[in-house]
Amino acid sequence: MVMDQDVARHLSEASVSVELETADMTLNIGPQHPSTHGVLRLVARVDGERAYDLKPVIGYMHRGYEKLSEVRTYPQITTLINRIDWVSGYANEIPFVVAAEKLMELEVPERAQYIRLILTEMARISSHLVFMASYPLELGAATPLFFALRERERVLDLIESVTGGRFHPNFNRIGGVKPAYGSGSSTRKMVQDLPAGFFAETRRAMDEVLNAVDELESLVAGNEIILIRTKEIGVLPPDVAASYGVSGPNLRASGVAFDLRRVERYLPYEDFDFEIPVGENGDCWDRWWVRLQEIRQSASIVQQAIDGIPAGPLQAKVPKVIKVPAGETYVRAENPKGEMGYYLVSDGGSAPYRLKIRSASFSNISILPWILEGVLVPDIIAIMGSLDFVLGDVDR
Amino acid sequence: MTSSPSDTEPTTLSGYADEVAAAVGGTGEVTFDTVKVTVESAHWEAAHRTARDELGLVFFSWLSAVDWSNEVAVGDPPGEEVEERLEVLSTLSDISEGRRVTFTTSITKEAPSIASLVGVYAGANWHEREAHEMFGIDFEGHPDLSHLYLPESFVGNPLRKQYPLLSREVKPWPGTVDVEPMPEGPSEENPES
Repeated sequence: MVMDQDVARHLSEASVSVELETADMTLNIGPQHPSTHGVLRLVARVDGERAYDLKPVIGYMHRGYEKLSEVRTYPQITTLINRIDWVSGYANEIPFVVAAEKLMELEVPERAQYIRLILTEMARISSHLVFMASYPLELGAATPLFFALRERERVLDLIESVTGGRFHPNFNRIGGVKPAYGSGSSTRKMVQDLPAGFFAETRRAMDEVLNAVDELESLVAGNEIILIRTKEIGVLPPDVAASYGVSGPNLRASGVAFDLRRVERYLPYEDFDFEIPVGENGDCWDRWWVRLQEIRQSASIVQQAIDGIPAGPLQAKVPKVIKVPAGETYVRAENPKGEMGYYLVSDGGSAPYRLKIRSASFSNISILPWILEGVLVPDIIAIMGSLDFVLGDVDR
Repeated sequence: MTSSPSDTEPTTLSGYADEVAAAVGGTGEVTFDTVKVTVESAHWEAAHRTARDELGLVFFSWLSAVDWSNEVAVGDPPGEEVEERLEVLSTLSDISEGRRVTFTTSITKEAPSIASLVGVYAGANWHEREAHEMFGIDFEGHPDLSHLYLPESFVGNPLRKQYPLLSREVKPWPGTVDVEPMPEGPSEENPES
């Protein structure tokens, strides 16, 4: 009996010592990791299979655009801000030029606004297609990448045919858009503003994109592994999202029908019929689903815009040296990643006195410590990928 | 422009500015379609709490600052003489109707300190860290004001107007060259050339 007691004590001590031996581990992800879309470092305390006290470390790509813009003229700044979110470079330019136009009280010609709108929506499609390509890949499904990137290339080719650039178009001018080569901005003689066959090609491309979206949906939505990896993972309640400033598809996936295309008037979106897809649970799956639906809506907007584009000039009359009258304004736009805005303070000079750049991904990933608290380590990648951020848009 | 908001919006916007200003105890104005409400720096946090709880401005868009300075190390000095101060700005929005308000207050450069908004909007955390390193503003009650973008060893506040832009010191920007007409291109004065 004595021996049995000894054994029992020994065993109980053994179990105690086993528990004591579980030590926390610090897990370092990045700065170079394929799922970070740039250089982002995450430091997490890992207890068994779960991650706690996660700390994102950013700034590896900080380029100081806010300081630089104080010594650049207004037309030079569009080349900088193109590179904030390089997956949808075109869309970055819009709120900035609109802010400058607002202070200058310029009336932008309707045709220029429609061209801006068409290209913005095409930038949204190409940005969302990158997400459609990379997100399943991060979850281990490689096939959707080929479908999505094939269509994205089609869209980028069209953007390039108009602007001359795939990623960094620098196509917007204060007062309108860049006149085509040979049209002569000062003589205002318009030879040709869009390349020949652009509308027919775009119409065809939008049909192809819609087909590809159907294919992507059947590939991904029918994949049981992806469903298990994303459903009820990384749930983001709408009130938490709003207090962190999470915007765009990430906010709409949480069930909030908030779209700046409906509430702000930076482009003539009131002329178009489109829906705002919203999710139900705010999980990774809903964030994927909302973006897929937004591609469909954007393709429909592009087709409507081609049908309704008015004729006319591309540029308002602007002085050759652009000086913006003193004043302050904040202009924000619904970019593919969410709310992008510029708070422009002008003192009447040829460079802004101060330009605050509000980028979507910055606020969107500030939620990481909250949303990744206590999740399984493999879910870190699933949740991070579903937020669809770009480090250039975080670091500015 | 397919629709001109300038006919109808200023009245509704200025009405909204007055409504917000009355609720938070500040003064409201509309500047180029932006509702701007000035509050006392001592009421900064209370004003945001009221905005969130009573006005439905639950969406935290951004927080930053402007360095109003007559002496600048880089760029052009302000067009007119300004009062030396740091202006702290935040922008909030509601997510049902999409109305937005920019709150502003001024603090002195000698004691650049203001209450943190982290207790009201969790998203203020990173924005305040950025404003802390870029402008040297202390946010009282912020849990961790370590550098966000800059290395911990970095000295100075780069977005202060008196902070030099080193690359510009080394090589002046050929800005004046850019606005001269191209050698063979047509110019504004002589379009036929």
